[in-house]
Amino acid sequence: MHPAPTPHLDVATPERVALTLPVAGIGYRCLAWLVDASLLFFFWLVAYFVFTLLVSDVLGVLQGLSGVAQTLLVVGVFATQWLYWTVSEVLFHGQTVGKRALGIRVVRVDGSPVGVYESAVRNLCRAVDFLPMLYAAACVSMLLTRQHRRLGDVLAGTLLVREERIDLDKYAAAPAAATPIAQAHAQAAGARPLAPEDVELVLSFLARAPGLAPEVRQRLGARLVERVGPPDAEARAAVLASTESTEAFLRARVVQGER
Amino acid sequence: MAIPLPAYVARRRADWDALQALLARQRSGTLKLDALRTLDTLYRRASADLAHAQTFYPGTDVHRFLNQLCGQAYAAIYQPPRERWPAVRDFFRREFPATLRRERGFVGASAALFLLGILLGAVVVLWEPRGAELLVPSGVRHYVAQGRMWTDDILSVAPPNSVASGIATNNLTVTIVTFAMGITLGLGTLFMLVNNGVHIGAIAALCAREGMLGGLLDFIAAHGPVELSIIVIAGGAGLMVGQALIDPGELPRGQALALRGREAVKLVLGCAPFLGLIGVVEGYVSPGDLFPTWVKAGLGIALGALFWGYLLRAGRTDAEATDMPADSAS
Repeated sequence: MHPAPTPHLDVATPERVALTLPVAGIGYRCLAWLVDASLLFFFWLVAYFVFTLLVSDVLGVLQGLSGVAQTLLVVGVFATQWLYWTVSEVLFHGQTVGKRALGIRVVRVDGSPVGVYESAVRNLCRAVDFLPMLYAAACVSMLLTRQHRRLGDVLAGTLLVREERIDLDKYAAAPAAATPIAQAHAQAAGARPLAPEDVELVLSFLARAPGLAPEVRQRLGARLVERVGPPDAEARAAVLASTESTEAFLRARVVQGER
Repeated sequence: MAIPLPAYVARRRADWDALQALLARQRSGTLKLDALRTLDTLYRRASADLAHAQTFYPGTDVHRFLNQLCGQAYAAIYQPPRERWPAVRDFFRREFPATLRRERGFVGASAALFLLGILLGAVVVLWEPRGAELLVPSGVRHYVAQGRMWTDDILSVAPPNSVASGIATNNLTVTIVTFAMGITLGLGTLFMLVNNGVHIGAIAALCAREGMLGGLLDFIAAHGPVELSIIVIAGGAGLMVGQALIDPGELPRGQALALRGREAVKLVLGCAPFLGLIGVVEGYVSPGDLFPTWVKAGLGIALGALFWGYLLRAGRTDAEATDMPADSAS
């Protein structure tokens, strides 16, 4: 396996399979925070405008409110600052709205979901992570730690993992159309089976081919044929006659079994 | 022998899609028992597929897909116990006070630091009157110079209920910061404790010099005991974190920190509702002349005694009672 380009969280499961989850870096985390922060900001903005639309004398109404209502109002403002994070992380399996939008999730260092205590620790620590301004301490900590954890994550034993959208349809598209001629060529070329990397490469090309400019499509196809194609020049020329025949050959080549 | 990747995907994909659908239902909480059994079976199959992909198709999208799928299923199956209302009840009935008793060394150290701050502030202002210019906020000094309590005005500019909620949230912030500062090797917590102590001590000394100590005591008598206790407890939680950083013992530093952080946050979470309640007292009872001083003092002492009685007695087991003296060294 090639060396991992990004930091990973390795989890050993009881099923004796090692999971390797990609860790979300500083960029994802800042973006997720921006989404959450603007959500909270717009929530209060809208609440304020609706309120001023409904009543003309804002100050008078505020002073006329009953004690309970006023207390609720102030506590509500406070709650969005501190409780929003913990409540949504506990209820939505480690995701706030911003984290969901970015496809990242809070997990414990062993890969299990966060509980109330962990979430409370990491979110209470925002008080320190925010210092001296705009999460500067958190950013320094994320740059210095291997798995991009801010101080609150270090204290809570949590980190953020990334969830990618992986499309498996490209594998299904390949075997659909394999013409007899292409198959014959592939048979001729198929002395050695393709390595998984080559299969992946060819499939990615086939998935992207319809969107490529004609000359680029031809050039890339030719290079792939050179890599996986028949050894003798004559068969190769036949395969390279047109883009259709090239891609039909590649399609037939990837589905070809190991004898 | 490995079969070609597309054929492998075509053969196994139905199971993976089924597992994904079940995981989506598990997240939305509409999973039935028999579906749960299917989920378990499918997860084991996907694990086997992942092992297969790790060997034969490393670095491909299928490998990454299975990795992620198994990661989500793993998180769904190996869940920590869910905290629900019975857990909340149990937390306040047993766990919070028990944690506090177990960590009483840290709470004691925190209290000592706080008292040290108070003494320091008081001594400085009593010895060198101009020290008050340094240690007491100018707004407070202004009021004291005019011979009035600054707290009298809290009531006249805003109705008592908004004062109560404002005070409660402010105290919550102080409590949170005092705890969270523990991550700075406990130095931040130390600073917060001593600094708050110095402020209180300096203000008390200034009031005493101006002959207003009675007024100050009148104001803080009702809420002071509980409120200061809570700040001290949060300080203890911060010191726990700092200690885990400095001396992690036999564990790696990261693990020790996570373990102690979990314990420490219990102290802070447990204090939060009491802080809210005492904020109400501070807003309604403490300012002004609505209640005579002896009522305020009586209330304050009673609340403090109740609070500490709860912390020291609630959910206490016989085993804990007997080994109480033995493990006091920890």
